[in-house]
Amino acid sequence: MAKVNTMADTKREQRRAYWALVLPGFLLYIAVMAFPTIFSVVLSLTSYNGGKLFGGKPVEMVGLKWYVRLFGDEYFYRALKNNLWIVLVSVLGQIPLGFFLAYVLYRGLVRGKDFFQTMIYLPTVISTVVIGILWKSFFAPHGAFPELMRIFRPGYEYTMGSHPMIPVLFVILWMYSGMYMIIFMANLQKIDNAVIEAARIDGAGEMQVLRYVILPALSGVIVVTAILAISGSLKSFDLIYVMTGGGPANRTSVLSIYMFDKAFKGAPNYPLANAISTVMVIISFLLIGLTKFAEKKFGGRE
Amino acid sequence: MTGLKRVAVVLLALVVVSSSLFAQGTKEDAAKGQVTLNVLNYIDMSEPNSANEVRLVWDKFESENPDIKIVREDLFNEPFHYKTEAYIASGQLPDVLYMWPSGRSTSLHTTGSVKDLMPLLEKDGLVDDYNPAALAPQFSGFLGELPNGITTTHMLFVNKKVLRDNGLTLSTDYNDMKKMVSTLKAKGIELIAMDNMDDWVMQSCLFSMVVGRYGGTDWYDRLEAGEISFTDDWFVKSLELIDDMYKSGMINRNTLSSPYGASRSSFATGKAAFLIDGDWATGSFMTDITTGDALINAKAQADDFELMAITNLPGEVVKNSNSGVVGTGWGMSANIAAGSAKEEAAWRLIKYLQGEYVQTYRLSTGASFPSNLKVDVAKVAAEQNLEPFITKRAEYYNKYVPITPVIDGVLHSDVYNVINSGLQEIGLGSKTPRTVAAEVQRAWEAFLKNK
Repeated sequence: MAKVNTMADTKREQRRAYWALVLPGFLLYIAVMAFPTIFSVVLSLTSYNGGKLFGGKPVEMVGLKWYVRLFGDEYFYRALKNNLWIVLVSVLGQIPLGFFLAYVLYRGLVRGKDFFQTMIYLPTVISTVVIGILWKSFFAPHGAFPELMRIFRPGYEYTMGSHPMIPVLFVILWMYSGMYMIIFMANLQKIDNAVIEAARIDGAGEMQVLRYVILPALSGVIVVTAILAISGSLKSFDLIYVMTGGGPANRTSVLSIYMFDKAFKGAPNYPLANAISTVMVIISFLLIGLTKFAEKKFGGRE
Repeated sequence: MTGLKRVAVVLLALVVVSSSLFAQGTKEDAAKGQVTLNVLNYIDMSEPNSANEVRLVWDKFESENPDIKIVREDLFNEPFHYKTEAYIASGQLPDVLYMWPSGRSTSLHTTGSVKDLMPLLEKDGLVDDYNPAALAPQFSGFLGELPNGITTTHMLFVNKKVLRDNGLTLSTDYNDMKKMVSTLKAKGIELIAMDNMDDWVMQSCLFSMVVGRYGGTDWYDRLEAGEISFTDDWFVKSLELIDDMYKSGMINRNTLSSPYGASRSSFATGKAAFLIDGDWATGSFMTDITTGDALINAKAQADDFELMAITNLPGEVVKNSNSGVVGTGWGMSANIAAGSAKEEAAWRLIKYLQGEYVQTYRLSTGASFPSNLKVDVAKVAAEQNLEPFITKRAEYYNKYVPITPVIDGVLHSDVYNVINSGLQEIGLGSKTPRTVAAEVQRAWEAFLKNK
């Protein structure tokens, strides 16, 4: 006689299925995300100074020593300032530019949509190292940029001077705007054309359609892109590392390069490097919180 | 579905079997009586003769020592150092590795990651085969690596043709060089080419020599004894000289955006009259034996180029000195058990790498000057008809003495990193020499306090 499934059996099965589905992901998350994060915070409070981590010299808890040192270092603030410049260029540069390009292409305001779409997105799919080397050569003392400038200003000499971040910010803007353009284009295509047509029939101009129809519909996407831009900006490393290595005199350094230098340059200072990474995580949360707050306050509904 | 399951099981089995085969590689080697040595090698593959090293050095060793299998990892410049730090942190150091006597290999020395090689040298009766200066205790207090030789970190490469073509007379006198700036600038030629994007370059290749000239040969001993400080004249004057070189245009501020090694070709092609680098840069100008190509061919090396040092710095207290340090070399992981077959194999490899054959090869390519006394430089140069830069380099070593310490060879990175940054700040014109000197002194005091 076949067994009849009771309610309890179903619940047990559901629970089993729940754990079977959730546990692998949960364990993976603990292993590769939660544990390293907590371990990093713990390490930032210790005296560990290289060598074998387990089975090496014993480590002591030193409290907030490395945080105090970090906040007393002028190069930390320089790196933080550069990071904030990148956040600014990303949020107020890449996103508006990406949106503008997407809007122009979506509304068919220029010909050759596919060509422009491909060309603008192209830098995103090229290796960052290749991009970095390319632009490093472009801005090098005997590179194309100084040579081009000499056509207009004979005797021009390119130096890192007082604004060494400008070339870096320019490349960041050039490289990543295409990604935001694609995100916006995909979402623009989801907006019902009938709504736009109705607005036009009601006498709305191009700017009014943008202001009252399209932007409110995209507010969620704008927040997501802002979060992507902020988190991406704070972890920006590879492009700058290849282009300038953070130099000269840490003028183009960002928090991730600053952290990397502390961990690997000369005698390593792993606790200090971990303190920097902890501060980076906190700053990320603060900026993302700020973005969410701005969306709640000013954003529309999709 | 059953068929799919079967395929999945077979694939899984294949993965398991193949991965266990790879994982068992070392044991398999052991079964064949082979010892596997993991080696971390330092090599710039873009330099002439680098690729030949694989065949002429490494392949040769393996063919002569069939009981040893080498698993080699080749890296260069910063990635090499980063990887080394990662290996130290993981406790998984390669068995044999290229390293520095101090400075860039500080962690290897301070964490006890490498063995003292002196007992092994003594056991084999090889101590007398090496230049005694090369066997001096290193940062760890013992012989952590067996050095290639003694390295001088300041070399002024001179392009005599550029000077001749512009009506200038060869002089390395500081003030004479300064006077050349206007003549050369007018023709779009730099006086001195340098690559100052990497912050160690200025400190190692110029500033260390300058500090020796103003601070004397024993500046570090006196500093350590507390007799002098970084805010004293000797150090401030050294920084002021660098400031003067930037301000007068002897060194262009745009060198701060030039990555290391980039200006060698522009110097060779006459875009600068002088190049400041370390003695190790000589090899990059020499002929690649495979292709026959050279940045500076043998005839030009003889007729148009010289290897010198800057002389007569205003107010210097030591004349003609140069900055030098025990060279880089090969160390052995402390994880290898004493008396084991692996230790014997690793030591055999190190002896080979610093033996007569490899050091003669390195001499012929300009990579280093030998620490092994069995290598007779004059004899090898005559017999192998070595390029003029080799003989000029030998003359250069005899000409610029005494040798004074290299900053990152004696100071801790907590201090020399501040000097490196400070030199770049001076290059940018954003800090004065006195400000930088005060910052370095603070870093030194903090280092002494935490020591």
